[in-house]
Amino acid sequence: MHHPSSILGLAVLIIAGYAGAKILRKIHFPAVTSYLVIGIIIGPSLLNIIPHVVLGLSEVISHFVLGVIAFSLGESFGIRDLRASGSSVIWISLFEAACAWLIVTGIMIGYQVMSGLPVHPAFVMGAAASATAPAATVMVIREYRAQGPVTNMLLRVVAIDDAWCLILSAIAITFASGLSAGSMKISTILHMVIDLVLSFSFGAAAGLGLSYLSRMIHNREDFVTVTIGFIMLIVGISLKFNLSPLLTSMIAGICVTNVSRNSSLFFETIRGVDTVFFLIFFMLVGANLEIGILPRIGVMGMLYLIFRVIGKFIGVQIGALISHTEKTIRKYLAWGLIPQAGVALGVALSAKTMYPKYGGIIFTTITATTVVYELIGPLCVKFGLRRAGEI
Amino acid sequence: MNTLLSAGLILLLGFAGARLLKYIRLPSVTAFLLIGILIGPHLLNLVTEEIFFASDFFSNLVLGVIAFSLGENFRLDELKRGMKQVMWISVTAAVGVWLLVSLAILAYFWIVRLPIYPALVLGAAASATAPAATVLIIREYRSNGILTEMLLKVVAIDDAWCLILGAMAIAVANALRADVFDTAIIFAGIGEIVGALILGAALGYAFSWLRRFVKSSEELLVFIFGFILLNVGLSITLKLSVLLSSMMMGIMVVNSARENYKFFEILRTVDSPLYLVFFILAGAHLDFGILIKMGVVGILYTFFRFVGKIYGAKIGARISGAPKIIENWIGMALTPQAGVALGIGLVAKTTFPEYGDYIFTIIAATTVLFELVGPLLTKISLIKAGEIAPSQ
Repeated sequence: MHHPSSILGLAVLIIAGYAGAKILRKIHFPAVTSYLVIGIIIGPSLLNIIPHVVLGLSEVISHFVLGVIAFSLGESFGIRDLRASGSSVIWISLFEAACAWLIVTGIMIGYQVMSGLPVHPAFVMGAAASATAPAATVMVIREYRAQGPVTNMLLRVVAIDDAWCLILSAIAITFASGLSAGSMKISTILHMVIDLVLSFSFGAAAGLGLSYLSRMIHNREDFVTVTIGFIMLIVGISLKFNLSPLLTSMIAGICVTNVSRNSSLFFETIRGVDTVFFLIFFMLVGANLEIGILPRIGVMGMLYLIFRVIGKFIGVQIGALISHTEKTIRKYLAWGLIPQAGVALGVALSAKTMYPKYGGIIFTTITATTVVYELIGPLCVKFGLRRAGEI
Repeated sequence: MNTLLSAGLILLLGFAGARLLKYIRLPSVTAFLLIGILIGPHLLNLVTEEIFFASDFFSNLVLGVIAFSLGENFRLDELKRGMKQVMWISVTAAVGVWLLVSLAILAYFWIVRLPIYPALVLGAAASATAPAATVLIIREYRSNGILTEMLLKVVAIDDAWCLILGAMAIAVANALRADVFDTAIIFAGIGEIVGALILGAALGYAFSWLRRFVKSSEELLVFIFGFILLNVGLSITLKLSVLLSSMMMGIMVVNSARENYKFFEILRTVDSPLYLVFFILAGAHLDFGILIKMGVVGILYTFFRFVGKIYGAKIGARISGAPKIIENWIGMALTPQAGVALGIGLVAKTTFPEYGDYIFTIIAATTVLFELVGPLLTKISLIKAGEIAPSQ
């Protein structure tokens, strides 16, 4: 590891991102999109001025930042607020995830049959389509200081639909590998259930621990240390035991919100320091985006792109109608669900390892569409929230 | 163990350890170092290799942050009266140590008939102090008063004297050893200082000018860290002193506009995890086994460094007419020794192949000692001066 270049590299990363976002703001780009674009430009695909050492940090930073974001999302799940709108969150998130899954799966099956390919990859792609991207959504909301019912609903929906996505993808992968090998491995689903239960209980335990500890902290500086330390610990342990860091961090955040008396301090503390991490995170995401893969997006990718969005819109409509939510939510929420990022890639990655035969094509499609969604998504979130009058 | 798990443990154990050791009145710095030793590779081994390798990165970043914050203490409007004292005290404290340690070790080497030149380099290393540990003590106990103010300024600038002494010592030592006096070494030393001051001033100027584009307080942090990292990165690449360039940047920033004070406040709210990690990693790197290798030279070094600091600073304080409290206590407050001394040791290691290792070992061993004991002595002198409440 060569250190001088790593410090200078990090400095260039931060300054380029910061300055770039300032400039691109003039043409109404959200900061997330600017970071991604600049990341692509200075990343290995184009200028290649980010040192390898810094690129090597990508994984650690992205795990940490996703943990921070998921933890912060827990703040929107105060019991008191939830009583008012609890059921609608569940309905809407369930339907937007399930509809995207069903519609994408259906279209993919149709396409595969027509082109004479095996149908099973369709299930996995559908499952990946159910995921959204909490980080990008949160960033847009924060940058424009969005406020209102759609914003609140969006924060909750992006937080819990990852759980649905995990469930759906475990089912889909089991099903797909069953179809391809001729025998179902129920153990995959069982594993998923165990993982979910463990994630919930571990997250809850960590959240309670943190709430308890917070009573011993008297000054703001210690709050920064303990909160960051705890999130790192939660994510680190989750990774070690193959739990979902997103879920555990979020559950911990929810616990803190509802148990700790001075919970808002945690979230404020995080908000005070996380901008730097977010910037680095999105710059590195941009740098790691494989834009070279775009030409290989193919008909499958195009279908995926279009029908995932349609699925999200229909799902939100159904969920909102069932739970009788306000009209603005029904009309504009789906725009906020368009971003797609790491969770979908995670599904694709596990598909790749679990059944290598068709994993490759799934992975290419998901990666290519993620590039598109990452870049367009934040703009859609902004558009939707603006139309809803919350920006 | 993955990186995040290890990092999380470092932060939480550091926090918990500092809390526990507070009961026996140990300062956080010392607690962090001890926890670092405990979880370091020699004992529990909870620090992953990845983090261990990142130590260098971290220590440069943290020294940059510390030195930048130290710049805050050099506000021109209030500096005029105190500057004479700062100069005298810092110079006499550094030179006093250098002379005493060099002469003592020189005499010993002469008696045992070893080459005498390593003595000069050891003396120069002994003149350095440790800004990070000192600042942390002051902050933790909310120390406040004339001694505290003087101390902050002295630890900030005496690194410059140490660098000059180090360069001279290495040049003279080289002349004694090889019979050639290489002025290039001295010029390189001066260049390192002047270059650092120019770089820091330039970036500080750019910082103040660009500040107008920063709108929200969250952005401020991105802005500050961007600049500090840029400054540190450039200093390392150009082989300039990280401490001096960062301090110069801080001085430029604090003096260019009154609104700039807020940068230092914002930095203070978030930098404590950085210091924690920095000292824990420093502790993890401390090699206790090396203490045994101290020998007579190490003992001479320790003793005369201590005496030199106290009396050197006293002389400077008396000449410049500083208040009695400063005269009595500033020397002891300057005892911590850390990275700057090791830096000189490192240069010596490459310049003198035969005795470089020996020099480095002595400096490393005494650093273990001074890093652990120094913060306590700083705390005691601040208590004695009445600037920390004794109940703490």
